[in-house]
Amino acid sequence: MAPVTFLEAIKQAMFEEMERDPAVVLLGEDVGVYGGAFKTSEGLLERFGWERVIDTPISESAIIGAACGMSYLGLRPIAEMQFIDFILCAFNQITNFVAKGHYLWGAPAPIVIRGPSGGGVHGGPFHSANPEMYFVHTPGLKVIYPSTPYDAKGLLKAAVRDNNPVLFFEHKFLYRRIKEELPAEDYTVPIGKAVVRREGRHLTILSYAAMMHTSLEAAEQLAMEGIEAEVIDLRTLLPLDEETILDSVKKTNKVLVVHEDTKTGGIAGEIAAILCEKAFSDLDGPVFRVTALDTPVPYAPPLEEYFLPNKEKVLHAARELARY
Amino acid sequence: MTSGITRQQHLDLYYFMKLNRAVEDTMVKLFRQNKIVGGLYGSLGQEAISVGTAYALEKKDWLAPMIRNIGALLVKGVPPRDIFMQHMAKYGSPTLGKDGTSHFGDLENLHIVSPISMLGDLIPVMAGVAIAGRYLGQKIVTMTWIGDGGSSTGVFHEGLNFAAVQKAPFVLILENNLWAYSTPVRRQVPLENLADRAKAYGIASYIVDGNDVAAVYQTSKEAVDRCRAGEGPILIEAKTFRRLGHAQHDAAEYVPKEMRAYWEARDPIALHEKFLTSEKLLDANGKAEIEKKIDTLLAAERDFAENSPSPPPELAAQGVYCEGCHTPKPKWERPIAEVTPPKSSIEAVWTVEGFGRGKGSRGANAPIHFGDTPAVVGKPVSERKPVAKSSAKKPAKAAAAAASRKARR
Amino acid sequence: MAVDIVMPQMGESIFEGTITKWLKKPGDKVERDEPLFEISTDKVDAEIPSPSAGVLKEIKVGEGQTVPIQTVVGVIDVAGSSAAATASAKAETPKLAPAPAKTPAPAPKAAPPAATAAGAPAAERHDGERIHSSPLVRRLAKEHGIDLTTVPGTGAGGRISKEDIMAAIGGGASAGTTAAPARAAAPPPPPGVSGGQAHVAFETAVPREKIYFGHYEVQPMTAMRQRIAEHMLASKRVSPHVYSVDEIDMTKIAALRSKTKDEFEKRHETKLTFMPFFVRAAAEGLRAFPTLNASLDGINVVLHKEINIGIAVALDWGLIVPVIRNADEKNFLGIQRALNDLAERARSKKLKPDEVQEGTFSITNPGVFGGLFGLPVISQPNVGILGLGAIEKRPVVINDSIAIRSMCYVTLSYDHRVVDGAIAHQFLHKVKETLENWSESVL
Repeated sequence: MAPVTFLEAIKQAMFEEMERDPAVVLLGEDVGVYGGAFKTSEGLLERFGWERVIDTPISESAIIGAACGMSYLGLRPIAEMQFIDFILCAFNQITNFVAKGHYLWGAPAPIVIRGPSGGGVHGGPFHSANPEMYFVHTPGLKVIYPSTPYDAKGLLKAAVRDNNPVLFFEHKFLYRRIKEELPAEDYTVPIGKAVVRREGRHLTILSYAAMMHTSLEAAEQLAMEGIEAEVIDLRTLLPLDEETILDSVKKTNKVLVVHEDTKTGGIAGEIAAILCEKAFSDLDGPVFRVTALDTPVPYAPPLEEYFLPNKEKVLHAARELARY
Repeated sequence: MTSGITRQQHLDLYYFMKLNRAVEDTMVKLFRQNKIVGGLYGSLGQEAISVGTAYALEKKDWLAPMIRNIGALLVKGVPPRDIFMQHMAKYGSPTLGKDGTSHFGDLENLHIVSPISMLGDLIPVMAGVAIAGRYLGQKIVTMTWIGDGGSSTGVFHEGLNFAAVQKAPFVLILENNLWAYSTPVRRQVPLENLADRAKAYGIASYIVDGNDVAAVYQTSKEAVDRCRAGEGPILIEAKTFRRLGHAQHDAAEYVPKEMRAYWEARDPIALHEKFLTSEKLLDANGKAEIEKKIDTLLAAERDFAENSPSPPPELAAQGVYCEGCHTPKPKWERPIAEVTPPKSSIEAVWTVEGFGRGKGSRGANAPIHFGDTPAVVGKPVSERKPVAKSSAKKPAKAAAAAASRKARR
Repeated sequence: MAVDIVMPQMGESIFEGTITKWLKKPGDKVERDEPLFEISTDKVDAEIPSPSAGVLKEIKVGEGQTVPIQTVVGVIDVAGSSAAATASAKAETPKLAPAPAKTPAPAPKAAPPAATAAGAPAAERHDGERIHSSPLVRRLAKEHGIDLTTVPGTGAGGRISKEDIMAAIGGGASAGTTAAPARAAAPPPPPGVSGGQAHVAFETAVPREKIYFGHYEVQPMTAMRQRIAEHMLASKRVSPHVYSVDEIDMTKIAALRSKTKDEFEKRHETKLTFMPFFVRAAAEGLRAFPTLNASLDGINVVLHKEINIGIAVALDWGLIVPVIRNADEKNFLGIQRALNDLAERARSKKLKPDEVQEGTFSITNPGVFGGLFGLPVISQPNVGILGLGAIEKRPVVINDSIAIRSMCYVTLSYDHRVVDGAIAHQFLHKVKETLENWSESVL
C-alpha cells in the first residue's frame, strides 16, 4: 500500500468513522463543499450528505455549543476549527460548559474538536498558535497532539469513540511532509499513552508533534557524538502518561523537554514538577527545556526561526545536559 | 388570548405558578435559616413566563432553564425536593452537591440541559440539540431562556444566527424584566422591543405580556407548533419586571418605587386568579384545595431535602471524566439508511441562481447572498422578499396589542 | 434539645450583620419559619425566620449589636419537636467521617524517608569547598555508605556525576553501563503525596528503598484507607492494649434464631442476625461495668451516660463504624432494624456524618469471615472493643459428658490505662451470662 500523508490519515479516520457510525457528524467553517481549508474533509459531503457534513457560519462558540448539544442526543460530532488559533473564540463554551458537564451533572459530551495548529509555515501571529496548555489546565478535557500519520489516524478514531470531549491538535507543518504506510484494517491508538520512539541511556528527550521529529533528528546526531538519547513521544498531553516518563528517567537520570509551545506555563514546567515530586532522587541533573520564546509568533522568516526551537537548539541543550 | 385553553389547562397554569412561588418562598426561609449554601435568585413576578412557556412543550421536548426558571423545571416534572437539595448542597441533589441552584439537568428522562452562569451559552447548545433531534427524526422542539441583559452577549448572537441558518426547531424566550442586575434595559439595549433582535437573523418573533400566563402559554404553543412544523427558530419577547433584587443580598434600591408599585399591582398569579374567578373556573374551595395540596407537598419535600446528608468530601475528586459510566446512544426515529451511503451521497456543489454552478456547472441547489431562497437577480437587496416568514410581524403586533389590553384591564 | 440560631450569610461578600430587632422574648413559643428577629447588613435588611419550632431559650446577641456571620445569636429549645427537625439541624454541620483520632500524633522522630534518601544537605570538602553532586548521587552514596568527600568529581565544574559515584561503588566500574537499573530504580513517592511531604501514617519501618523489589504494582491508598491507617496507628500508639478471651455457648440463641428467623423476616421485613443479641448483651455488660463505656482525656476518665455502640462494617473499599445510639434503650427489633439500616447505608455511602460519631464502645465481627477469633484495635476515643469469633459446633464437656454445642469465642481489647483485667473479665462474663440465659422475646 502506498504511504499516506498525515493529512490523508486524518481524512481516512473521519471517513471510516462516519462510515462505521451514523452518529458521527462533522461541522465547521467550509468543511462541506470546499472540503476544509486544508482539504482534510474533502469528499465527505459527497458521500455523507448535507445533514452530516455541515458548513457553519463563522461562529466558533456556536460550533462548539451546537456540537455539545448534538452530543446530548447521542451523536458524536467532530467540530473543526479552521485554524486552531480560533478555538480561543470558543474558550468559554469549551472550558466552562463542555468540560464541566460530566463532573457537575453527569452529562458526558462525546465531541472531538480538531484543527490545524503550530508554526513553521510563516502563518504569522494568528495562524500559528499552539494553545494546548489552556486546555491541559482544564479538568474534563482530553488533549491529543500526535506526530505521525499512524498515530493521527488511530488517535482520532479513539477520540471519536471516547465519551469525553477530546481536543485534537494537528500540526500543519506535518500535514504533507510526513508519510507512512498504514494498516488496511481498522485500528485505534490508546489515548493517554506515550511511546518510546528511540531507545537511549544517557538522557531522555520528551517531545510531541512537530518537535518530536526535530528531537529525533537531534538524537541521530547525538548518537554520532556518543550520546545515546532516548526519545519519547508524549502523544497525549492530558492525561499525561507519567509511567512511561518515570520509567525512562529511572534509566537515563537526565531529562530534556522539547516543545513548540512557549516556555512559561508550557508542559515542560509541569513535567519538571512531576519529576521533582516523583523522581527527585533519580535525577542526575536539572530538567532542561527547549521551547519557543515567550512572545507571540512573529511573521518574518528570520524572526519566526529565532522564535521556534530547532535541531541546533536541541543539540546544544542535550550536549550541555549530557556533560552536566 | 384565552380561546382554546381548557379549564384544566387554566388550572394547571395556576397550580404551577402557585407552586413556583411557594417553592421560592420556602427557599427564602431556608436561606434566612442559613440552610442554603451560596446565593438565592428569585423569580417573583415572573412565574407566568417560566410556567406558560414550558407548559407549551411536550414530554419529549428539551429545555434548558436560566437560574430563575424554577417554574419551567417544575412544569417539566422536576420534584421540588431536587430544587431544595440543590440549593442546600445536599448529597441527594441531582448534582450530588457539586453545583447549586437550578444548575442541573437530566438527559435521560426529563430532557433538561443544565444551565451555566455564563449567559447565552445555552443558545447554540439548544440549537445543537434541536438539529440532532431533527437528524434523528425525533420531531422535538427545544427551548431556552435569556434575559434582556443576556441578549447582549456575543454567543447569543452566534447561537441565534446559527440556529436560524440551520432552521433549527428552537424557541428562545427573551424575558425582558427591565433590569440586568442594577443596570436598566435602556443601558443594555437601544431597542424599544427586544423582539426586534429576531429581524437580524431573519426569524419570526412575538411580543407577549409576560404577566399574563394564558397569553404566554398561547403564544408559546403557537411558536412551538410552528417550530415543529419546520419553520425554523422563533424568538418570543415576554415583557415583565424583576420584583426582587438580583439575589437575596440585593435590596434593589436602584429601582424607582413607583415602578415597583406598578408591577406589584400586576402580579401574574393575582391576575390569573382574578380571571379564573370571573370566568367561574375557580372558587374559594378550589383555591383552598390547591393551596393545601401545595403546602402538603412542600412540607414533605422540604423535610426530605433537609434530612439529606452533605456529600462525602472525597466526592470532590470523582467524576471529572466518563470512564464507562455512561453509554451515549442515539435514538433513531427514522431509517438509518437515509443518512448513510448510498442514500446520503449527493453532488456537493453550490448553484448560484442566474450564474450557474460551481465546478463546471454540475449539480445541486445553492443560495446567493443569504438563506436558501433563490434571490431575484437585478433588484436591490432591500426590495427582496424577506427570507423568513413575514407572518412573524403579525402575531407580534397582535400580542403587543393584547398585552396592552390586559394591562388596562 | 437546643438548636442554635445563627447570623445568616446574606450574600457571598457579607461577613457581618446587625440585629435590629428581636420579635420574640426568651420564653416565647415559636413555630418553624415564624419571624424571629430582624437584621441589617451591608447589602440588605431582612426578617429572619426561626430555624425550628420550640421555645426561645436564650438571646445571646442583643438589639443593635453587630456580629460576624455564623455567630450563634440565640438558642431555641425544641423539646418535644419532631425527630426530623432535630436530625436536620444536626446534619447541617458537616463533619468528616470517620472521625480522625483527636490526639495529635507526635512528630515522627525519624525524618521523612524521602528527605533521608535525597534531601541530605550538601556536604563540604575538607577544605570547606561545597561538594556539587545530584539527588541521584547523594542517594547512591547513602545507600552504599560512601563519603562523598572522597569521590573525585569529573562532571561540569568538578561535580560528582552518576558515572563518578558508580565508579566509586563498583571499585572502578566504568561509566553508566554497569548501573543495574533495577537496583538503582528509586521507589515511587508515597501515595497521594506531593513533594515528599510524608504523612505520619505513612512512616515505614525500613528505608523505603527496601520495600520495592522484584515486580510490583503500587496502589495509592484511598482517602478512607489513609484515615483508617491514621486512626489505627494513633490508637495503638496512645492506648496500651490488653486482650481477654472468653467462650460463649450460643446453642440456645442459635436455636431461637433458626426457629424465629422466617417469622421475624415476614413480620418485620428485615433479616434476623446474631448481631442484635451481642449488641443487647454488650449493652447489659456496659450498664453493669460503666468503666468500659468511657473515654480518657489526659487524667480524666469521661464516663458516658449514653451507651452508643459502634458496629464495624466491612466495605469493599475499607471499613466504617456506624453507631447505634442509646442501644440500651432500644428494643430488640429496634436494634436489628438499626443494624441492618446502618450496614446497608454504609455500603451505599448514604451514612450521615453524625451517624459515625460519638460511639462509646464498639463491636467487630471477624467471625463473619470465618475467624476463630480476632484481637481488634480499639476504635478511639473508646476504651474497649468486643470481637466476635465464628459460631461453630464444637464438642464441649458438660456435667462430665461430651456434648455438641454451638460455641463462639469473644475477645475484649481494652485500654489498660482505664480498665483492669478484673473489670474486663467480669464484663465478658456478663455478656456470656446474658447470651447463655437469653430470655427476651425477639418477635
